[in-house]
Amino acid sequence: MENQKFYYDNKIVKYFILATIIWGVVAVLVGVLIALQLAFPAFNFGIEFTSFGRMRPLHTNAMIFAFVGNAIFAGVYYSLQKLLKARMFSDVLSKVHFWGWQLIIVLAAVTFTLGFTTSKEYAELEWPIDIMIAIVWIIFGWNMIGTILKRRVQHIYAAIWWYLASFLGVAILHVVNSFELPISLFKSYSIYAGAQDAVVQWWYGHNAVAFFLTTPFLGLMYYYLPKAAGRPIYSYRLSIIHFWSLIFLYMWAGPHHLLYQALPEWVQALGVTFSIMLIAPSWGGMINGLLTLRGAWDKVRDKAELKFMVVAVTAYGMSTFEGPMMSLRNVNQITHFTDWTIAHTHIAGMGWNGGIAFGMLYWMVPKLFRTKLYSEKLANTHFWIATLSILIYAIPLYWAAVTQWLMLREYTPEGFLAYPIFMETLTHILPMYTLRIVGGVMFLTGFLLMVFNLFKTMAAGKVEANELSEAPALVPKGARNPMTETIHRWMERKAVRFSIWVFVALFIGGAVEIIPMIFIKSNIPTIDAVTPYTPLELEGRDIYVKEGCYTCHSQVIRPFRWETDRYGEYSKIGEFVYDHPYQWGSRRTGPDLARTGYVSGPMYKNAAWHYNHFMDPRKLNDQSIMPNYAWFAKKDINLDLIPNKIRAMQTLGVPYPEGYDQLAVDDLIKQAEQIVADLLNSGIEIEPTKQMVAMIAYMHKMGGDIEPASTLNNDSHENGK
Amino acid sequence: MVSNILEGMVGIHIFYVIGLLLFLILFIVIVVRTMRRPAAEMNEIKESILIENDPDESKTT
Repeated sequence: MENQKFYYDNKIVKYFILATIIWGVVAVLVGVLIALQLAFPAFNFGIEFTSFGRMRPLHTNAMIFAFVGNAIFAGVYYSLQKLLKARMFSDVLSKVHFWGWQLIIVLAAVTFTLGFTTSKEYAELEWPIDIMIAIVWIIFGWNMIGTILKRRVQHIYAAIWWYLASFLGVAILHVVNSFELPISLFKSYSIYAGAQDAVVQWWYGHNAVAFFLTTPFLGLMYYYLPKAAGRPIYSYRLSIIHFWSLIFLYMWAGPHHLLYQALPEWVQALGVTFSIMLIAPSWGGMINGLLTLRGAWDKVRDKAELKFMVVAVTAYGMSTFEGPMMSLRNVNQITHFTDWTIAHTHIAGMGWNGGIAFGMLYWMVPKLFRTKLYSEKLANTHFWIATLSILIYAIPLYWAAVTQWLMLREYTPEGFLAYPIFMETLTHILPMYTLRIVGGVMFLTGFLLMVFNLFKTMAAGKVEANELSEAPALVPKGARNPMTETIHRWMERKAVRFSIWVFVALFIGGAVEIIPMIFIKSNIPTIDAVTPYTPLELEGRDIYVKEGCYTCHSQVIRPFRWETDRYGEYSKIGEFVYDHPYQWGSRRTGPDLARTGYVSGPMYKNAAWHYNHFMDPRKLNDQSIMPNYAWFAKKDINLDLIPNKIRAMQTLGVPYPEGYDQLAVDDLIKQAEQIVADLLNSGIEIEPTKQMVAMIAYMHKMGGDIEPASTLNNDSHENGK
Repeated sequence: MVSNILEGMVGIHIFYVIGLLLFLILFIVIVVRTMRRPAAEMNEIKESILIENDPDESKTT
């Protein structure tokens, strides 16, 4: 058959490469800044816009969606065209995708700095940006599927299955997790409450790792590793088995992020079981990647891109073994709420995602610009610095995690906590936080070497924006012949059918986890004593969310003696029914705050203490690493929004009386005046409408509704906590 | 807003037992069918990505 001429769109690939490099530097820089803030709080600069609680989501989102996201798109746009022997479906869609994604990143940076956040980890962006993400993501999928449909090859190669699964997985996760009720342009409440919100969030959080940080990178590995090594993937059979197993199992494992927390036992068991099962398909991918290099290790010695890919696949194997181990309950006691999780995520992020991205860039940029890499020596230097930096970053954090966990659970011979004050345990691990900065700075240094190397390479060459190629047109093969074609082989040439089966595999896991948790009443036993937040407490809660307090403080006490002795009665599932969104957190850089409102408990502090602590934490403890929140005493509450907030809560099922939205501001002022009078007794003068007063009200609400001997009013309480 | 539609959670384990069975059945079917595919066909597919119209396959030093 006669060949058809067509042109690859290399310009869009170049754009995504540039965005990957630029946003990557920004993301790592912000990472270094927050590492500095954790060791030296002066780096919060005493201003709200640069405080840790606002910078940490900026770092995680920039790393995941800006650096990794653009790397995925660069890799997909390049490999998809080559694999399918077709130009992208639409140049317009490609451009809208590129500029739309960059706009989202810029808006994310601005809104996080201003404190607009939903507080749901890795999904902190507010509702207008969520809608933009959905639109741009659909454009990406539309462009990708359109290209698949107009391809010139019969067979859809394995890498593209992973791209399809990533598109579908992220679409499902983003939509379900982002259901929120807007009350203004940049403020919304999650429609889910408490434990339900936690399950949906960690179903999302876990699977965002799966379908944004894992599956697209496996797709990239299936293309770029064989290309860079000049050898085919080790086993195509293994790639089929590992693909279907991985996408099916991943969706079920989210609850392992919530072990020992206020969640039904069955949900926790589900998370643990499927986490362990995940080892097999994950290692299938790792083995397939590493064995691809059989007979090509001499090339690894010489080529930096292959070195990065080897480290990436190894880090993937380590992380996907460590993750399931962390989901075991006894291991989870140590790893959850400590720096272990941070070390784990950074081995995966710096090793797996960084390694594949760097390897791909070192291989792709010279090819795209039709020149040689400026300096292979510099690339190898980058490799060794980056690899060492992962170790220097992670090892101190593992050490810190174990040290802190041992201290937190240590008792004196008399039966008292050896370190009852959380701060004592943190002080011991601060040197580890300093070492982490060294790791971060090294990683940044290596990154900058790559930027220099790639820009010099780009300057020496030139991209052929529309690269001419040719291939015979695709002749449809028609109906399946069962004698010569297996069902899977047939599906591999039917993109839409293939996508439908991928969707079914993803949907089953999500549905089994989410539907029973949301729709079955007896999962969430209510507690009579737990009352809705007053308007002032609700306002305080919103400020708590805005400042990202959840990035350092949890609000859920696990049923361990060392936690109940230190923080108070363990948390019950029914205590969170009015929490839109939940605020359990995932790391304790500070103590748990679930019972700061229980007057007889160990965590209660009076209003004057809270005032002084927010103004300058180091006046009360000179080793505290908490940022100052002095602006709480200067900034006013927005009273105009209070009726809207009450109405939104009523819509979400919070039982405020009919017409309470009109009385809420008066009630707020009354409660605020009581706190103001209390502060005045300690010689502190403040106006009742200041944010400080709302924060104190919220601190005095948390966990104060129930007595330790509270009884549940639901017959099925044995299913809850 | 979206809660309290179903009444109880008795027998909830059936959801994930069914899911596990589904997975095991599909897994076995996929493994058996995949392993029976001819080696020549597998090799052809995996080799295909290395054959391109690229003017220069390896430009780096």
